[in-house]
Amino acid sequence: MLKRDDWLDLARKLDWELSYVSERDAFPEVQSGRPWLPQTDWAGWDEPFRTSYPEYVAGQQAKEASVAAVRAAVGRLEDFQRLPPGWLESLKLHAATLPLAEFAAVVGNLRAARFGRDSAWRSAALFGALDEMRHTQIPLLLMHDLVRWDPQFDWTHKLFHTNNWVAIAARHLADELLLASDAIEFAIATNFVFETGFTNVQFVGLSALAHGVGDRMFEQMVGSIQTDEARHAQIGAPVLATVVKHDRQRAQYLLDKWFWRSWLLFAVVTGFSMDYLTPLAHRQSSFKEFMHEWVLDQFVRSLDEFGLERPWYWDLFLEALDNYHHMVYASAYSYRASVWFNFVVPGPDERAWLREKYPASWPDFDPIWQRISDRWRASDPGNDFAVHGTAIVSFCDLCQLVLSGGTPRDNAANILDHGGRRYVFCSRPCRWIFEQEPDRYAAHKDIVKRVLAGEAPANLVALVQRYFGLDYATWGRDAFGGVYPWLDRSRP
Amino acid sequence: MIPLYGFLEGDTIGLLVLANGDDSLAEVASKLQSAARLRAVIDGPITVLCGGQPIDPNTTVTEAGLQPLARVDVRRGRSA
Repeated sequence: MLKRDDWLDLARKLDWELSYVSERDAFPEVQSGRPWLPQTDWAGWDEPFRTSYPEYVAGQQAKEASVAAVRAAVGRLEDFQRLPPGWLESLKLHAATLPLAEFAAVVGNLRAARFGRDSAWRSAALFGALDEMRHTQIPLLLMHDLVRWDPQFDWTHKLFHTNNWVAIAARHLADELLLASDAIEFAIATNFVFETGFTNVQFVGLSALAHGVGDRMFEQMVGSIQTDEARHAQIGAPVLATVVKHDRQRAQYLLDKWFWRSWLLFAVVTGFSMDYLTPLAHRQSSFKEFMHEWVLDQFVRSLDEFGLERPWYWDLFLEALDNYHHMVYASAYSYRASVWFNFVVPGPDERAWLREKYPASWPDFDPIWQRISDRWRASDPGNDFAVHGTAIVSFCDLCQLVLSGGTPRDNAANILDHGGRRYVFCSRPCRWIFEQEPDRYAAHKDIVKRVLAGEAPANLVALVQRYFGLDYATWGRDAFGGVYPWLDRSRP
Repeated sequence: MIPLYGFLEGDTIGLLVLANGDDSLAEVASKLQSAARLRAVIDGPITVLCGGQPIDPNTTVTEAGLQPLARVDVRRGRSA
């Protein structure tokens, strides 16, 4: 009987010499990506896991059994009902942004499983596609049990099917990253930047946070997903190495573009959770500290290893670490009826913690929360619309998120006239990304353009209900109805 | 109506402000301040900037040459 290493490469690394079609016809650039190189230039491609199909099936079966066992033990409704309110909101946010994006990643992986330029790459991508199907199904299954208790959990499946502003931003990113990318861009953008750089470590951090608050089910879920991510993310590095060797400029461009795009989504989802929605007693580090320890150090090391530069906007990015998620959270809090999860006002203790963690920027945010707290103090408990914005907010024409770049002192939004249309961007990197490939992005309309074109209502309540897909049962509120122990309503 | 992107110093987000051509920039600034009041307020004098340049607040939107979706900033203090 052959030993594993004697047969494995016959199964996973076997590239045929094509004779009936040309290599360019079998692997067209539009699907396989740039730079287009002959297979001989990819022949050395490899990744460390070198998984066989029987090993994959056995490993995944064990993981599924483990998730099922934890679900049976601590995945009941009563177990979720015991979790801190803020954490449940973090759960709703993550649950909604995760599964259907993962489902889009099935398509990206399958494109690589067909058009990746080396058979071992295609083999690893096929496992990646199977992984992503699992990552779609697990959160849909687990959160479905909670819908009868809290209809906001229905957005786990619903979000991506709506025109909610977060869904538009998430689709804009996921469509390009996962559905529209060729195999090379997918490998660098998704496997290397998004997964190796962000989500792989995000899941480690989230798993630890979930453990801290006692959410064993979520801890198990993200831990299980992370082990898949850690494997298929390995596709990215060897693809990047080959692209660097043959077209260093394109490699740098793809890294610069996707690091910024990934960062914006990551800051909103994980920044909200770590610095606002996780109860103070369970926070282990600030979002900024987490980014420095888990994302930046590793990413910079990777760049050095590949002989690449830090993105040109690196100083802006470091400034954004102090500001961006705080800008968006305060904005989103004051428009919380436009999303499907609830928010928490940071009280005096949380604000003291944030001041300690963000000494350079928090003095600009503290007065905002003081005003919001004062408004709640003067309002009846539960009267969310007394502490809510009414104007239409504005959105970036690239990332489709709100214009909350820069700082409270100096918003970084900037205007570009292109092809007879006016575009606005939340930041210089978003504008730069647009300018590199304007044909790719120019036809997309942000919410404001849809309102002005009469495609979406201009009235905020109508916009929330008729366009964003929310209703009284599901729109976001203050998680405590504005009733906080520290908020003394007897004070004038 | 002319839709404008308004940014109030101290606020965290840009807001859509609908202005008339004969509105003064002071009126535009007032609309913006009202819309952002939950999060930020400027007590005292303000400066209105269009395209990054300070403009006399008595100037109308039409006189200032503001096109739809132009950026208008409202900042603390009077411009020098």
